[in-house]
Amino acid sequence: MAEAATEMVKLTIDGVPVEVPKGTLLVEAAKKIKQEIPVYCYHTKLGPAGLCRVCLVEVEGMPKLQIGCNTPVADGMVVHTRNEKVESGRSMILELLLVNHPLDCPICDKGGECDLQDYAMAYGRGASDVADPKQSKPKGVDLGPTIVLDEERCVVCQRCVRFDDIIAGERQLVVKDRGHNDIIATSTGDPYRHNFTGNVTELCPVGALTSKTYRFKSRPWDLNRTETSCTQCAVGCRQFADVRYGTLVRTMSVENDDAISDGWLCDRGRYNIGYLGAPERLTQPLYKQNGQFVQIGWDDAFALWAKAINDARAAGKAVGALGGGRLFNEEAYLLGYVMRALGVKNLDWRTGRQLQASPGANASYEALENASSIVIAGDIAELAPVLWLRIIKAVTRKGARLVRVGACGAAPGFAHTDVTNAGEAAQAVAAEGGVAIVWDGADLALGAALAATFASRSPLAYIASEQSNARGAEAMGLLPTDGGADFTKIAADAANGAYGVLALFGANPLRNAPNAETMRGALQATPFTVVSELFMTESAQAATLVLPAKSAFEKSGTVIDIAGDLLPVNASLQAPVGALSDLEMLIGLAQQFDLALPTSEELDAAVIARAAKPLAAALGEARYATSEPLAPSSSRSIWDGGGTCAHDDRIATLRREPVKVGA
Amino acid sequence: MPVTKVLTAGIGEADLRDISVYRARGGYKQWERAVRDLKPADVMEACDKSGLRGRGGAGFPTGRKWSFLPNNGKPRYMVCNCDEAEPGTFKDHMLLEETPHLVLEGILLGAYGIGCTHAYIYIRGEFKRGYQIFQKAIDDARAAGLLGKNILGTGLDIEVTAHRGAGAYICGEETGLLNSLEGKRGEPRLKPPFPAIAGLYGMPTVVNNVETLAYLVPILEKGADWFASVGTERSKGYKIVSVSGHVQKPGNYEVPIGTTVREIIEIAGGLRPGRTFAAVQPGGQSSACIFEEHLDYPYDYESMAKAGSMLGSGAFTVFDDTTDWVKAALNSVRFYAHESCGQCTPCREGGHWLERVLHRFVEGRGLRSDLEMIRRVSGTITGLNLCALGDSIEPFLKSVVNRFPEQFEARVMQELTPA
Repeated sequence: MAEAATEMVKLTIDGVPVEVPKGTLLVEAAKKIKQEIPVYCYHTKLGPAGLCRVCLVEVEGMPKLQIGCNTPVADGMVVHTRNEKVESGRSMILELLLVNHPLDCPICDKGGECDLQDYAMAYGRGASDVADPKQSKPKGVDLGPTIVLDEERCVVCQRCVRFDDIIAGERQLVVKDRGHNDIIATSTGDPYRHNFTGNVTELCPVGALTSKTYRFKSRPWDLNRTETSCTQCAVGCRQFADVRYGTLVRTMSVENDDAISDGWLCDRGRYNIGYLGAPERLTQPLYKQNGQFVQIGWDDAFALWAKAINDARAAGKAVGALGGGRLFNEEAYLLGYVMRALGVKNLDWRTGRQLQASPGANASYEALENASSIVIAGDIAELAPVLWLRIIKAVTRKGARLVRVGACGAAPGFAHTDVTNAGEAAQAVAAEGGVAIVWDGADLALGAALAATFASRSPLAYIASEQSNARGAEAMGLLPTDGGADFTKIAADAANGAYGVLALFGANPLRNAPNAETMRGALQATPFTVVSELFMTESAQAATLVLPAKSAFEKSGTVIDIAGDLLPVNASLQAPVGALSDLEMLIGLAQQFDLALPTSEELDAAVIARAAKPLAAALGEARYATSEPLAPSSSRSIWDGGGTCAHDDRIATLRREPVKVGA
Repeated sequence: MPVTKVLTAGIGEADLRDISVYRARGGYKQWERAVRDLKPADVMEACDKSGLRGRGGAGFPTGRKWSFLPNNGKPRYMVCNCDEAEPGTFKDHMLLEETPHLVLEGILLGAYGIGCTHAYIYIRGEFKRGYQIFQKAIDDARAAGLLGKNILGTGLDIEVTAHRGAGAYICGEETGLLNSLEGKRGEPRLKPPFPAIAGLYGMPTVVNNVETLAYLVPILEKGADWFASVGTERSKGYKIVSVSGHVQKPGNYEVPIGTTVREIIEIAGGLRPGRTFAAVQPGGQSSACIFEEHLDYPYDYESMAKAGSMLGSGAFTVFDDTTDWVKAALNSVRFYAHESCGQCTPCREGGHWLERVLHRFVEGRGLRSDLEMIRRVSGTITGLNLCALGDSIEPFLKSVVNRFPEQFEARVMQELTPA
């Protein structure tokens, strides 16, 4: 439907005239007049399959009932979705679907949001002639680390099978056996495991596929739903956070989120929520005295922090702050504002391998799909999983060419070319059409080489950040742009005893910084170190003052995604008593110095202005270079980062084992 | 009696599997002529003018089927459907084993006619012997320069590959066959697109039955007019009828289309002594029964449709008065329930449901409500399915429940009366 001039077709559905582009399917055309055609196997993102047969409609002039999911509109077509003939056929289908369905709705997780339940109520016969026992099939089948399958409830719509093939490109799920003995299984019998398995529980129109994390936890009508943005990585998928009596029980994708997530979530975004209620969450400020942490109040914490800053200034020692790539824009902005007001210029959001977060110009995720060639540098599949789904779509369904430069993680199961440098990449891309570069922002020389090599093709550029709001932190000014020290110099100087106070916000450099050893020395040599964290991480262990922070589900703000969109994050959950957001911590610190702070309106305006500001000129720009060389460190998996995964036993099991090739 | 040997000529008289015997009897003459003297369009025109209709079951005009192929420069495929698995059909099986070179010559002519350079024959998995015979025929023809590269020195290349199925009735459905041939699960595809547009490996494809392609040989030999002169108004030529059931001499009989139902029964030796006629299932397991009032109908596509049934694949099953219709119905429904691929709802659930209900009837445990249900459901399932298998469940059942209701009612359980 991407043709330049779309030809429009006029037809009548249930007596209402409708005008839609040529090629539109009847199920979609009916949505224009808010008329529901029930579907099980059809899905907007998966296309028609023609299996369930519940979308029957009558088209005048055609003797048999037609399936709305595979019948394109035609000029002058007269369609009925509600007459006696249609209703008789549809109720027959529903009756047949219930012949072997166990009707165990009272114990089924889908109950209340089940398409079979809804359509059987709306269009079914309400009575059954079945006099024989129902077929018995396996229940509670452990399909893999995330999913449980109830074979009796399955209506064999094959949405899960098609998702696995078309969208995820995995082809793990298949239909086994035949006829009424059909079962869903993995083709090899191995556990169903990849980065996107959770989506099949949402695609499943019945309660056959359910998430282990949500099974028997709730009823849909007990849930408080908040629409928000996922902050597990920098893609920023829209998602629903479903809270039951103060506990986040599940997150769900937003089906019509075409711009960001395309309607999908990765398993980390979906399932990494167990840490929120972990008993080891920090809920009170901790101050280290004689090598032991003691619990103190917030007022004391702020006073100690302020005193340490004053002492450092008096002693002529430096003050610095690191981190910010996991803060919201408002927090990142305020961090820079407060620190600069206190005369601190040693600010840097960067603590990991990534050195740059903003590309030369913004490009949308949808534009990436339509590039003829996609050049990636870095493990994009792990850094930005849902963006990777777009790359799969571009390559497998739109014919784009994928070129991987340098180390890019596990090889994908579809056509691609591996090269070692930008020059070779230029040879490997298609001669015509748009080029997109997706880079991990780590190797500046490589970034600059890619930018220079492809400059004549005006490429779309994306930087897949390690930290969810690295772009936001960069845009809010958490860079040593005004003569301060960058993170490598801060670490080196602090390790030599030059710093009096060092603060870390949402960063755990001792775990995953390439200069972790220097950072360890820095934290040891600095007399007062502050860490804002959810958990007692490696870096928090080494700190003087540990401040318990709110998680992204417990506070509201905005973030900037890889495409440069300003996304809202809405609080869905009450934070544990005692935890504060980083914004509140910064306000507390500012009050100690009687600093005048921006009002919330001023803060919002500043964030919006900075989010819209012109970006860096190009990939690999010189001003992002570090003053100290960084040791090369191996590519990280999304499952290792952050540290929140460590506080949910289940998440560790989700990680996909590396695929062994050969042997 | 109008038994005419066209395709069946020589079967039982000579070893037609031997390429020299086949050639001595005029075999491969038409292929040689086509390659040397005819253009593909000539073969296509002969096929179209002869009025030949698909002998696999649907009876679609073969020339028209070929004409749907788009001229888009993509490679085209000719696929010969030899997955003959319809209960009561055994004609392709015979042709494959008894006169494999005729089948191969037909495939080559068809491939040449549509401009295909690689033809496939999908042979039912159980036909192991037929596969071996046919593979030898391919090898012998290749040795004789009749297929492969540079056929008969003309520069023409046509390859023929024989592929064995893995045992599923549904792989005889043309798109299920294509999936299976591609190595996928044997499930019919959603249409459109039809195989003529996107078939094997997504390319324009024609799927033709063994008997259909074999008739191309005599059509080219004797002319399209000769073929079109036989038969009725819209059903032309000859048909191999696989007669089975309660007759004295079951077997394959080749007759001009339009021979009456009564004549076909007589050709097959008539009923057993002392028995009276009950019904004929004229077009395979998926067709409805026809009865005494239809005995003088000509056996052609239109008359069978008029009688409420179909000619189908030419499987002609005769039933006499000894038939237990409840068991026969169960047998039929059980077959479809077992062979359903399970993709679409009516076939997967409906077949299995009816099978269980009929099973109870056979045991004498039917319910009165079941009878109403059978009548209601068997009138509704047809037309709701993705492929023809689901639409095949009910015609036989419906026809016999309506014709012999007393046999079903006799199996209804005595209702318990409160003491």
